[in-house]
Amino acid sequence: MTVQEILTVFTRILRDLLLNDSIVLTMETRREDIPNWDSFNYINFIVAVEIEFGVKFKVADIESFENVGAIVTEMTKALA
Amino acid sequence: MLFNSSEFLLVFMPATLLGFYLLGASSRTWALRWLILASLVFYAWWRPVNVLIIAPSIVINFALARILLRLNEGEGTRRASKAVLLLGIAFNVTFLGYFKYIDFISSSINAVFGANLVLRHIILPLGISFITFQKIAFLIDVQAGRVKSFTLQDYCIFVLFFPQLIAGPIVHYREMLPQFHAASCRFDKENVAVGFTLLFFGLFKKVVFADHIAPLITPIYEHAAAGGGTSFLLAWMAAIGFTLQIYFDFSGYSDMALGLARFFGIRLPQNFDSPLRASSIIDFWLRWHMTLTRFLTGYIYNPLLLWLTRRRLAKGQPGFGGRNTTVGAFVNLLMFPTVITMFVSGLWHGAGYGFIFWGLLHGFYLTINHGWRLVAARLWPDRSSYVRFMKPAGFILTFVSVTSAMVLFRSPTMTSAIDLAKGMIGLNGIALPQAFFDHPGHLARTLHGVGVIAESWSIEDFAKTAIWISVLMFVALACPNTLQILARYEPALGVKSQSTKFPIVEWDATLPWAIAVSVIAAMAIASIGGPSEFLYWQF
Repeated sequence: MTVQEILTVFTRILRDLLLNDSIVLTMETRREDIPNWDSFNYINFIVAVEIEFGVKFKVADIESFENVGAIVTEMTKALA
Repeated sequence: MLFNSSEFLLVFMPATLLGFYLLGASSRTWALRWLILASLVFYAWWRPVNVLIIAPSIVINFALARILLRLNEGEGTRRASKAVLLLGIAFNVTFLGYFKYIDFISSSINAVFGANLVLRHIILPLGISFITFQKIAFLIDVQAGRVKSFTLQDYCIFVLFFPQLIAGPIVHYREMLPQFHAASCRFDKENVAVGFTLLFFGLFKKVVFADHIAPLITPIYEHAAAGGGTSFLLAWMAAIGFTLQIYFDFSGYSDMALGLARFFGIRLPQNFDSPLRASSIIDFWLRWHMTLTRFLTGYIYNPLLLWLTRRRLAKGQPGFGGRNTTVGAFVNLLMFPTVITMFVSGLWHGAGYGFIFWGLLHGFYLTINHGWRLVAARLWPDRSSYVRFMKPAGFILTFVSVTSAMVLFRSPTMTSAIDLAKGMIGLNGIALPQAFFDHPGHLARTLHGVGVIAESWSIEDFAKTAIWISVLMFVALACPNTLQILARYEPALGVKSQSTKFPIVEWDATLPWAIAVSVIAAMAIASIGGPSEFLYWQF
């Protein structure tokens, strides 16, 4: 799966979660760039990603993801 | 030793800095050891026995953290390391519980069951709630592998660093230690200039703003506790006045902490971001006591929510998913963890029903806010018109919610809090000082006509309170905050200049600013009166 494909799926998940179709995620997107992407919706997003891709993140990693790119990188590692 | 006392500002601080810079010129290790020693003196000042209480806890935590570190290096030690972590958390919570909650629990048991448990009237070691949270966070970080190595000296400087020892900001090891390891430990004129500016801005907020509104609203709370019947306007003055007092008190303290740390070349995290301007409760908590929010989110809320969500989905029940969110998912995944987290926040602030109800109330506020977001997105798909309406409406609603909840925080008893709440919704009538009715005429007739009655409150106190509230509201809502003014010099961790939002008031090392800060400093120092503790030092 390419990075772009992963980002497309991430974008769909977050759009569904926040009910906002104008969201477009990039590797550099940070939580504060997206309106209403608070800690509650962040955890929901993470679990939705885990289910979609069949991976499981460590709690410590979830805390330390700086941007969307970091989640993508960690996920590609887990999928590999 | 209070930050706003002369022995701190004139003796302790200059002596500590002098020693630090002199030792720092030849050895960073010795400069940091000096800083640890100074921090112990600072902590011991009020009650030397405090050091004897805190020292064993430091040693035990350090030992547990070393064990965790060693277990992390080994294979197949996951369960053992989890057990050690749980032991560590239990130790710290029991430690805090003994000092902070045992009397509260005993008196509650006595009240409910008519038992005769003896109250011990334990004197709370200073800052124990803050110190305990930080130690727990450290153990969790070590167990999670976020901290790879540390020495006893590293641990001591992290736990004892006096600028943030008593009341935060609550810091992470991983953001502090790299700074201590890289600090030059030498005199640096930029650090000292920025440090003094932060220190005096904070002192001014505390001794001029907070300490002047405090005596004006105290009588209203005493009146409510004594018999009550607090009228509408007075009740609102009490609520808004105390909100402003605690904001300027605690954000003033936090500015001072940032300034003091900066003298040593250390940047602490931001604790306040003009919270009273928030346009929702969620927004408020991202701007008020930010390091506590960060702690509660990272170590309680997120793990709890993650566990609940995974468990729910594993059972095949629907999760939280935008349009398709079910009531069950909302209650289990949103309301429950939010209310639990805010309950812990309330309890952490103090052993009393007022704090617990305050926390629960904010838990419900947050739940409603999240629920509204779901509903609003369906009812109001046009985002820009929604934002245009919700910004002012949300601001007013948030302000009213936050200030009315603060009554619980301040009221000495639940009875007085209930009396003030009644007053705020108008159940105790609307009243004005007698002076408004002294001259029979159009004004007095109109006031009587709309049901306003006279009360014995003096017109001077009434006017003074109204003026102070107006001035402080203007500062809190319309003026750039300390960190925005100093943004060019990264006054707090990660706070950077954002394309000069307030170019005219951006601080720089210039003569006009030197004069301005000196005037602020002189006014603040002249206002230092009797002992006036920071509100958050009790926690």
